[in-house]
Amino acid sequence: MRFTISREKLQEGLAAVAASIPAKTTLPVLANILIETSDKGIRLSGTDLDIAVSTEVAADVETVGAITVPAKKLSEIARELPPSPVKIAASGEQRITLDCGRSHFKILGLPRDEFPAFPSIRFSESWRIRSGDLQKLISHTSFAVSTEESRPILNGVLWELKPDVMRMVATNGHRLAKMELPIKATGAPSADLIVPPKALEQIRRLFPADEELEIARGENHLGFRSPFTAVYTRLIEGPYPPYDQVIPKDNDRVAIADKVALTSALKRMSVIASDQTHRIRLSFNSGMLRFSVQTPDLGEATDELALRYTGDQLDIGFNASYLLEILRYMPTDEVRFTFKAPERAATVQPEGWNDSATYLCLVMPLRLVD
Amino acid sequence: MPEQTPVRRILLIDADAFFVAVARLVDPEGAGRAPLLLVGGTAEGRGVVCSASYEARQHGVRSAMPMSRALRLCPGATCVPVPGKACRQKHKEIRAVLERFAPVVQSASIDEWYADLGGTESIYAGASLQTIAHRMRDVVLEETKLRVSIGGGTSKLIAKLAAEGAKPRPENDADGVRVVEPGSEIAFMRELVLADIPGIGPKTTARLAERGLRSVSDVLDRDEAALVRLVGPGDAGWLGRRVRGVDESVVDDREPARSISRDETFPTDIHDDLLLEGELTELVGRAAGDLRGADLRARTVTVRIRDKDFTTRQASRTVDDPLESDRAIFVVARDLLHKLRRARRVPARLLGVALSGFGDPLIRQLSLFDASRPLETERDRIVSRTMDAVRKKFGRDAIAPGRKH
Repeated sequence: MRFTISREKLQEGLAAVAASIPAKTTLPVLANILIETSDKGIRLSGTDLDIAVSTEVAADVETVGAITVPAKKLSEIARELPPSPVKIAASGEQRITLDCGRSHFKILGLPRDEFPAFPSIRFSESWRIRSGDLQKLISHTSFAVSTEESRPILNGVLWELKPDVMRMVATNGHRLAKMELPIKATGAPSADLIVPPKALEQIRRLFPADEELEIARGENHLGFRSPFTAVYTRLIEGPYPPYDQVIPKDNDRVAIADKVALTSALKRMSVIASDQTHRIRLSFNSGMLRFSVQTPDLGEATDELALRYTGDQLDIGFNASYLLEILRYMPTDEVRFTFKAPERAATVQPEGWNDSATYLCLVMPLRLVD
Repeated sequence: MPEQTPVRRILLIDADAFFVAVARLVDPEGAGRAPLLLVGGTAEGRGVVCSASYEARQHGVRSAMPMSRALRLCPGATCVPVPGKACRQKHKEIRAVLERFAPVVQSASIDEWYADLGGTESIYAGASLQTIAHRMRDVVLEETKLRVSIGGGTSKLIAKLAAEGAKPRPENDADGVRVVEPGSEIAFMRELVLADIPGIGPKTTARLAERGLRSVSDVLDRDEAALVRLVGPGDAGWLGRRVRGVDESVVDDREPARSISRDETFPTDIHDDLLLEGELTELVGRAAGDLRGADLRARTVTVRIRDKDFTTRQASRTVDDPLESDRAIFVVARDLLHKLRRARRVPARLLGVALSGFGDPLIRQLSLFDASRPLETERDRIVSRTMDAVRKKFGRDAIAPGRKH
C-alpha cells in the first residue's frame, strides 16, 4: 500500500473517524484506525464495536492495500505536519512510513485482519432522508435520554419511521421529549428503531444538512450512508415504553411565559435549590407565577414573573434542572405549559411556532412524601 | 474611598502523627512502648500502613505503603490496627478545644482543622496570631494529650503550607507554630517548590518541570506573557494565583458532604465470584445499616476493589430515587462488582462499598411510567428496618441474609 494525500485531506478524514475510537479498550486493535485504498482515494474507519464510522477521502493511490495504525498517534502527527503532501506507505503488515516535507515517521500498527468486520447491511432496501431533517429531530430530543444503566431501553432514542412522517422520542422516565416531522413517502416499510444517542451525535456531526442519506437496517444494526461517509450503529432491542399513553390529553391549566425571563428566574432559584433534588416550588395565579425554594442548612429564595395563566391556582414542585434543560431546546421566544394537577405530568411546547414540525416535552413533578 | 477588607486570620491545625499518637494513648503498655510502630494492618502483612511513627519513617516506611513491604523495611516493628473509634473521639475533642478559641472551625480531615479568627482581634486584646496559636497548642496538649502543629496566614492555602514548616523535626528548629505575616506571603512562597503546593500533583509537577518550572520562584520570576506561552492562558492564571498564595476559599464550618463506607481487606485474596458476592452482601449490609442508623438514604453506590497487584479500581452508579434497603443497594452494588470483574478478573485483596449522595427522603421525583419496577419497594424498606430492630435487640449476628455464599 502506497499513497500520497494532502495534509488537509488526511486531517479531515481522521477528524471524522476519531470520535468513534474508544478512549480505553481491552482489544488493542480498536485503538487503531483502518486505512484502506479505494477507487477514489483512501477509506478510513474506526469502531468501538457499538458504533463504526467510515469515510473516504481523495488521495493518489500508487499501490493498493490496507493496514491499521494507532488513531491517536496518527491524528497527533497529522496535526503537527508541515503544509506539504503526505506520503504514506505500508512496509510489511504491521508498519507504515509517513513522509511529509523533511519529516519522516515509522509507526507500528496491526494487520488489517485483526480489525473487526463492519455489520452487513443491505442498502438495497433503504429509507432516503434529508440529513437536515434528521439532525433537527436529534438535536431536539436526544438530550432527554436516560444515562442510567438500569433500563437500557431508555438509554436510546426511539425513532419511528412511517410512510409520511417520522418521529423521535427520548425519555429518562421523569421527563420526555418528542418531535415529529412530515416526510416524503420513502417507499421503505415502517419501522420503530431504538438508537443509541452516541450514534445520533455522529450523524449530526458528520453529514452536511442538505445531504440525502440512505438508511438501512441489518439484523440488529442500522447503517447511514452518504456518497463518502458511513455510520453503523448497534440498535437497542426491546419494546419501548408506551410513551403515547403518558402524554396528557386533558390538561386544562395553561400558562404562557417568556422563555428568557423564565429561564433567568429558574437559574436564580437553582442557586438555592438542593444539589440533590434541584427542587423548586411554582405557584401559578392569574397573571403571576411565584417561585419559592427552601433548602435546609442553606436558605430560601422567592421570585416572581408576570405571565398569562388560565385555570385555578396551582402549586407544583419540579426539579429545576429538568425545566431549564427543556427550555434550552424550545425554539420560540414564548413557551406554553399545561398542567392538570400537582402530581400529574406537565407539558411544555413552543408557542406560536410556524414550522412543519411539532414539538412536545413532558416533565413529571416532584412530590412531598407524607 | 473604598472600604478596606479586613486582613484574614486563618489557622490550619494539624495533629502530629495522629493515628500513631492515638494508638499509643489507647494502648500505653503495648503500642505506647514501641518506638517502631505501624498503624493500619496486621502483622500477617495484610492491609496498608495508615500511619507510621517517626522512628519507623526513618527506615523508609511511608503512609499507604503495603504492610508487607513496610515490615520488610522495618522488621521488628509493632503493628496495630487503626483505633478508629478512639481517633473519631479524639478528633471531636480537639475540635471542641479549637471551637473555644475560634468562631468558625472546619474539619478538613480526621487530623486537620481550619480555624478562622477573623473579627476576634479585640477579644484577644491585640495578641498576635502567633501567640494565640501557641496558646491553642498548649491547651490541646493539656486536654487531649495530643500534639498539634499550627500554620497561620491570610488564606487557607498559606496556613496549610505554613503548617508543614511548623512541625518540629530533628532537622529543623520549628516550635510547632508558624505564622506568615500579612504582606510577607510572596517571600514565604519563594521558599517552596511547586510540588509543595496543594493542587499540584505528581503529573502537573512533571509537566511544569518539562517547561523549566520547578520552584515557586521559577514562576514568580516570569512575567504573565511568558507564563501564558509556557503553560497556556488557563493554567497561567491559576498557577499565578496559587504561587502568590492567593486562595479566596472560606473556612466553612458546615460538615462536608459525607459518605458512608465499609471495606474489607481479606486474610487471603479471593478469586471466586460467588465468594466475592458473599463478601459484598456483608459489606452492603453493614454500610446500609449505618445509613439507616443515621436516618439517611443514598443515591450513589460505589464499589471499590483492590486487585492482588494493588491496582485499585472503582465503579459508581447514581440512581434516581434514594435507596436505603440492603436488597436494593445490593442489586446496584452487585452490577458494579460484575462490571469491575468483567474488566479485569484477578484475585482481589480488598472490597469496599461506599454510599453517598444523601437525598431528602421526603422529596420524591414522580415517574412517567408507573409500570417501571422501582429498584426499592416498601417491602424492601420494611425488611431492612425489621432486621435493624432484631439486631438492636439481639446483636448483629442474630439475623443474616440467607444468600451469603
